[in-house]
Order: sequence, then structure tokens, then C-alpha cells
Amino acid sequence: MAILEISNLHASYSVTGPEILKDISFTVEDDDFFAIIGPSGAGKSTLIRCINRLVEPSKGEIIFDGRNVTKLPKRELRTLRRDIGVIFQEFNLIERMSVMDNVLSGRLGYTSNLRTLFRAFPRKDIDHGLQLLDRVGLIEFVDKRADELSGGQRQRVGIARALMQNPKMLLLDEPTSALDPKISREIMGLIKQMATELKVPCLCNIHDVQLAMEFCNKIIGLQDGYMKFYGPTEEMNKEKLDDIYAMEVL
Amino acid sequence: MSDMHDDDAIAPRITSDIILERRRKSRYFQGCVYLVLGALVVWSIQVTIIEDTDWERMGSVAQVLESANRFFGIDYALFKDLLVPTIETFMIACLGTLLGVIICIPAAWFGAKNITPFKPITYPIARMMMTISRSIHEIVWALFFVAVVGLGALPGIFALAVRSVGFIAKMSAEAIEDIDPGPVEAIRSVGGSNFQILLYAILPQIWPQVIGVIIFEWEINIRRSAILGLVGAGGLGLVFFRQMNTFNYHGVMTVIIAVFGLIVIGEVVSHRIRRSLI
Repeated sequence: MAILEISNLHASYSVTGPEILKDISFTVEDDDFFAIIGPSGAGKSTLIRCINRLVEPSKGEIIFDGRNVTKLPKRELRTLRRDIGVIFQEFNLIERMSVMDNVLSGRLGYTSNLRTLFRAFPRKDIDHGLQLLDRVGLIEFVDKRADELSGGQRQRVGIARALMQNPKMLLLDEPTSALDPKISREIMGLIKQMATELKVPCLCNIHDVQLAMEFCNKIIGLQDGYMKFYGPTEEMNKEKLDDIYAMEVL
Repeated sequence: MSDMHDDDAIAPRITSDIILERRRKSRYFQGCVYLVLGALVVWSIQVTIIEDTDWERMGSVAQVLESANRFFGIDYALFKDLLVPTIETFMIACLGTLLGVIICIPAAWFGAKNITPFKPITYPIARMMMTISRSIHEIVWALFFVAVVGLGALPGIFALAVRSVGFIAKMSAEAIEDIDPGPVEAIRSVGGSNFQILLYAILPQIWPQVIGVIIFEWEINIRRSAILGLVGAGGLGLVFFRQMNTFNYHGVMTVIIAVFGLIVIGEVVSHRIRRSLI
């Protein structure tokens, strides 16, 4: 079944400004680990941000889990965002808070303002958080502050936070480009493993083509806002890659 | 045999029980802190307001309102006498800020850890200047300068200049300390002198921040200069003082309105300048 269907999506940052995305259509299935590749400025991040409406699309339709994302009113938009975990390039942790509080922040969409004020998360959330921290290998770091961690460790916290939401899909915005090659591969492996285990489909922005080919089963190639390639990883080859990245040389 | 399984005992695994208990304790502690703070506020109110106010002289609510009401009205006859003091107030603020900025140049240079010429001596001197400047009220500075140079606008200008040094120099020095060292390295690598480093690598980085601070201080100085006349340092404050002494409450209100107008003008101008610069 399809968790996410995007059809004829257009986006621009201002009414008069240039279009960042032009007529994008694709479908993410329940068991997909989907890669979006393309040169810098192709619109990869914009595409990801349209899906949970951090960027407002200007035209087109996004159907997530049977809901029409582009038409949702504010309150329902927040409910939608609860169902989509996001892992960021720069981790976006709350630096001055502990690892545990960062992970628990993944539950804020389910927590009342009053509970948030007293940081009174229910026991099952704390259990879940500990379990996830154990899985990402950070159980020893529960009480550490987020800014005491290394890059790889921070992204592990980011993964745990996203999974805390019990998401129906994960959006990954260049999850490894702030990390060195060895750690990058570890992090991608961890995400893939957790996603497979918890049966969460992923949509991943990634500029490292090799990683994309290694971990993803489907690929979209963006160039200057256009979809240049859309298909299973096996159909991608050097020629098509050169075509997608042709603009970067100019 | 049992030694091999002792790892768990040495570092007990963290559980949700431990975390929940810790959070409960920390909330309890927070509650106590707020309780103590609340008690302090109540106690302060008791001592400073309830016991220390001359309730009998204040009279009933109606009498209080009547006293306040005396101020509402404008003394039109005062208008012609306000123009020159208003301009004078404005001028005191401008000249005071300008003089303050000039004093700030060495103060900020000496007071920034990364560029101070001889740290054990120049750094403490600059920091001392800033602290003294800020810890003495502008009225006290004005009293001091009135005593030194006599009545008029000049002691007002000196008072504002000296009072401004603390803030402008401190913010500028901190801006210098926070600069990105990259450009400094680059200019040093091309063989630049210390003065060239200052001009090319440091000033361009701190310029917007420093200008912002100066404009902000200038705006505050307009406010300050409006009251300096209370102690004989010229401007609107002197007029205010005279109206108050002769119980001409409508005149007082007129002066307040003039001060208000001047401050609004100052804010508009500073907003414009800041927008065009940053």
C-alpha cells in the first residue's frame, strides 16, 4: 500500500520567485527506503519540507496515509506532523537539554502544555525512550547534555527522537552529510535497520550517491526542480547519474 | 565465579523508576524554590509598602485621584520657554554620546582580551573604567561635574559622556572578543601590521554591532539629558524643576509632554538609522 502519494507538486518560496519544484509526482510504498538525489540547489530539501508543510507547496497534491496534506487546517496539520518523524542534517537537538529530554521531546505532539511545563512525561514514554536509547547504543548517555556528544552520537539521539513519535514515515534530510564517511555508513545502517524492524517507510534526501545506491530501493533524481529519474535503484546507472549531476559542472 | 556477573551490580541499569523518581524530586525542589521566592515577595511588600507608606496622608481613593488629576492640563504660556531647553536637551544628548564614543575607542581597545596591548595593566584599567562609568548614576555624575565646572549644559555633556562609556565600551569590547579569528589570521598571513589587522579584520566584523549600540545609547541619553537639569546641568530638567517648585502642575505636564515628544522623535530617528545601516 502507498503511504505517500505526491502528484504534480509545485513549490516556490514567493509568489513572484522562481519555482523550486516543478511538477513532481511519485509514490512511496509501505516498505520503501526511498532516496532523493541531485546536485545542491535541485530542490531536495524543499521537497522533503513540503511533505510536512514546513514549506507550503504552491500547486499539486500530497496524500499521506489517506489524508490530503495540502488542505489540512492547522490543528490537523499538527496531528499529521506527529505521524512523520524527521531526522535533520544538523541534528537540531536542543543543545542545553539532556539526551533523555531530547528523546522525550519526540512525544511533545502527544503531551499537553501543562505536562510539558513540568516535564512530566508518562512512564510508558520514559520506558520507550530508554528502550530506543538502548537500541541506538546511547544508554550510558541518558543524563549527558546533548552538546557533550559527538556528531555521530547526536544523530543517534536524532534517530531516537524521531522514532519516539511512533511515526508512520520517516523523512531524512541529508542525515549523514555532517558526518565523516565511516560514521555516515554506520548511521545509515542503523536507520535502515530500525526502519525495517519497525516497518517505517523512509524518504531520504542524500547527496552521497554511493550511500543512496547501497541503502535505498528506489531513487528520485532531481535537477533544478525537475524530476530527471524515478525508478528502482537497479535501473540507475552511470549515464543517468551523469545526466542528473550535469548541471553541477556548469 | 560470581565476580564475572558483578558488572550489573557496579553500574545499575537506569530505569524509568529512577528517572521518574528524579523528576519528582526535582519538581519538589522547584516548588520549594518558588515558595521561598513567593515568601520573599510578600515580606518585601509588608516591609516596604504596607509599613512604610503614610496611609493617612494619602487619604481616600477619591483624594488620591484628585491629587493625580491636578497634573492633567497644559500650560500654554510655557510653550515659548520650552523651545530652547528642548533643543538644548537634544544637543546635550548628541554631544554627550559623541564624546562618550571618543572615550570608548581606547576603552574598548584596552578592554578586549584578544587585542589589549599589555594585558596585566591595560585590561584591568579598561574594565575599571567601564565599571565605574556604569555603577554611578547619571544624576550623581551630573552633580559631580556641576561642582567641578559649574552650572549649564557643559556638566550635562560630561556626565552623559562618562556615563555612556560603560555600556558602549563593554559591548564593543565583547564584540571584538567574539570576532571570527579567521580574517585576522588571513591579514596576518599576508604580512599585515597590527593596525592593518584592526582596520581590515576586526572593524568590518564589529561595525554593525557597535553602531547599533551607539544609536541605542544615544536614544537613552536623550532620556537622561531630559532630567539632568534637576541638578542644574541644563535642558528641560531645569524647567521641570522650576514648575514643580512653584506647584504649577499643568506646567509640569507640559514639560513631560515635551520630553515625551523628544523621545519619540529620538526613537523614530534611531529606528530609521538602524534600518538603513544593518
